[in-house]
Amino acid sequence: MILLERIGSFFTILLGLASEPLNLAILFGSVVMGILFGAMPGLTSTLGVALLTALTYGMDTSLAMICLLAIYVGGTYGGSYAAILINIPGTAAAAATAMDGYPLACKGEGGRAIGLTTTASAIGTIISMLFVVSISPLISRFALQFTSFEFFLLAFFGILISGTLTSPDLVIKGWIAGLLGLFLACIGRDLLQFYPRFTYGIPDLESGIEVVPVLIGAFGIPQIIGVIKDRFQIGKTQKLQRILPEIGTVLKNIPAIIRSALTGVGIGAVPGIGEDIAGWVSYGTAKNTSKHPETFGKGEIQGVIASETANNACVGGAMIPLLNLGIPGSPPAAMLLGALMLHGVTPGPMITFEHPNFILEVAAILLLASMAMWVAGMLLAKQVVKVLRIPTQVFMPVIAMLCVIGSYSLGLNIFNLYLMLPVGIICYFLTTMGYPIAPLVIGVILGPMADENLRRALMVSEGSFLPVFQRPVSLILFLIIVWTIASQLPWFKRKLSAIKKAVFKQSL
Amino acid sequence: MKKIIIASLVLVMALAPLAWAKKSFPSRNITAVVVWGAGGGTDTCVRIITAEMQKFMDVNINVINKTGGVAGSVGMSHAYSQKHDGYTLCGLSESNVTAGVQGGWDKKFDVWDTFIVGGSPDLISVTADAPYQTIQELIEAAKKNPKSIKAAASGAGSIHHLNLLAVENGSGAQFHFIPYKGSAPSQNAAMTGEVTVVVTSLAEQQQLLRGGKLRALGMLIPDSFEVADLGTIPSAFDAYPGLSKYLPISQAIGFAVPADVPREAKDVLVDTFNKAMATDKVKTWAKENYYLLSGKTGAESKAVFDALESNFAWTLWELGAATVSPETLGIPKP
Repeated sequence: MILLERIGSFFTILLGLASEPLNLAILFGSVVMGILFGAMPGLTSTLGVALLTALTYGMDTSLAMICLLAIYVGGTYGGSYAAILINIPGTAAAAATAMDGYPLACKGEGGRAIGLTTTASAIGTIISMLFVVSISPLISRFALQFTSFEFFLLAFFGILISGTLTSPDLVIKGWIAGLLGLFLACIGRDLLQFYPRFTYGIPDLESGIEVVPVLIGAFGIPQIIGVIKDRFQIGKTQKLQRILPEIGTVLKNIPAIIRSALTGVGIGAVPGIGEDIAGWVSYGTAKNTSKHPETFGKGEIQGVIASETANNACVGGAMIPLLNLGIPGSPPAAMLLGALMLHGVTPGPMITFEHPNFILEVAAILLLASMAMWVAGMLLAKQVVKVLRIPTQVFMPVIAMLCVIGSYSLGLNIFNLYLMLPVGIICYFLTTMGYPIAPLVIGVILGPMADENLRRALMVSEGSFLPVFQRPVSLILFLIIVWTIASQLPWFKRKLSAIKKAVFKQSL
Repeated sequence: MKKIIIASLVLVMALAPLAWAKKSFPSRNITAVVVWGAGGGTDTCVRIITAEMQKFMDVNINVINKTGGVAGSVGMSHAYSQKHDGYTLCGLSESNVTAGVQGGWDKKFDVWDTFIVGGSPDLISVTADAPYQTIQELIEAAKKNPKSIKAAASGAGSIHHLNLLAVENGSGAQFHFIPYKGSAPSQNAAMTGEVTVVVTSLAEQQQLLRGGKLRALGMLIPDSFEVADLGTIPSAFDAYPGLSKYLPISQAIGFAVPADVPREAKDVLVDTFNKAMATDKVKTWAKENYYLLSGKTGAESKAVFDALESNFAWTLWELGAATVSPETLGIPKP
């Protein structure tokens, strides 16, 4: 009964919001701006939300929320453009999308890929919205199962899984890249005792390595060098295709879309981690459960759908702990928290009493934003694919400029450029040696979380590792990690196939 | 398009001398450089106060964020490197006083003339299922088994950590300190049951207190505090008068100008700041956000920041977390 009542008031709010022309104008404007932010390497949805926060100061709360959520949804989706078309993920969240998206673009199916990701992203956001409305208190309780040990294991798993999934030949190369990223993350003041590590007295290193210049350097520069070196033109093979999604393909992938959306919601709900992990975990699940895992990494449409659905579903997931506990579920959600406080709304357990309809309003805005994103995406996609027809001689220098601006725009700090260039050149050589780059970036992103939480967990337990086995969530995570590592060991593989054979014989 | 550009250029050139002709401060827009991120506590506070201040001036105050470095050193260095004419304000908070001893920059904090809007007072709370009902019960339990009760606060040397240290020093109790990356994660840890005690500001905690997820034991300021639907939170000083030797260590959020800004400009800033602090907008905002307004300027605010600087700097130095000795910067011991 209560659920029906909630659904009723949800639609009243939805219609109320949608009937205001100003709301719709702001909605579309922000979504398009978000998509552009996401598509541009270096400009992330976090930055977009941060910049707009200041501008929304004079608006009323619901208009400000429309503006900020639309840019968040658009930004998360927009990252896929650059990932698919030029193999430089516009945001870290789209790194997994590049795995199969770029090979698809090389095959001349860039338009089809973007069309499908648009629909998948929209469905992902809508599914996550359903969770915000219906069972958000339950998910909040799940989020509270995460203490320091769980956070450490989760971050470590994120690095490990991206290493496992992205290696073109040997899995260990992916792990090595991940550990390199983990090392980079250790540079700077540690967050617990404030002790400087690997800073060599350089003040700019004190606050640590920024993710954005590493992201841009690691993905952008090898791509630029590679394209210039090979005089490669992606666009030549681009066919003009229908961008409108093939309903058949979408329907065929509905189970995969729902699974990816659930992954996204779950990961989004856990505080502190966001779209980037969601994309990888979902991509990994899709690859592992696929009947033909060998096609992944070579232009498998399911891979693109998996990561894009999950990272957009993460948006709704991240709102759940933010609204119910006041704990942001992802970095852009942390910015949203600040923006909400600016408007006098303090999310937390009391929000249902203080602002009874606020959660429903957020859900309604999410639904509107995903629809606006779908419409804008459909209109933009065809134009965006044309980018690839620009001759390489013109296109790549522009991309290089964007890389420089993107790195610099973050904090207007020239040091980030000194960081981006060497990271990019090192990554170029790593790529030529067959080391995947994504785990390195994921290592930099998740490294601080792994490092800080492991040390804190040991402080809490006074040096004991026992709690790992005593807590259900951490035990499960631990077993998954052991399985991931063990499954790569030769003797384990042999044992496994022997067992499989034995079981198979018996069942015969 | 060209015509529009030319026309607007002509217009700008025609108007520019008019703007310059008016000599008195402020004759053009003022920029406030906030050294912490957009949407954060300091940012929000500076935006509110400058929005009110500009109503009393003929110019706008534009707020920008310049983060990074050590303890906001990038933004502070930037603001300090601009002309010392009062047209550049630096939005900052008490945490910035550590930039010197952490090697972020080479100056003592009194190169700034500060304007303190206020801050949210710290309090000590326990998880809802903890057995401690009053501050006495908690402190006595901690005294009986030193370092057995886990207490969360943001990272070593933060304002909340300093408050926790002061509680330990003033009461003789010892907690098992677990550092977190900020207030939200430390409160979250209390809710997951990882820690029992948490020290953060009232603004950060009020939702959880009123939702019954945390139990407030004592304010770490001399006075009790009235919170809607929760009643009065007593001051921890009532039970432990010894705390007054170490506390309060309060947030001081506001902005600053270089100390050698011309008198005339400073007077205008002080005047508009006082007017803005008296507006209902600022007062309502403070009440809604559990802030204690300060409004201190000049010598008064200098005394506050001197005390904060000496406390922070020496605590960090003793924790081994400072790179530059406070002595070399001429910071006296607390």
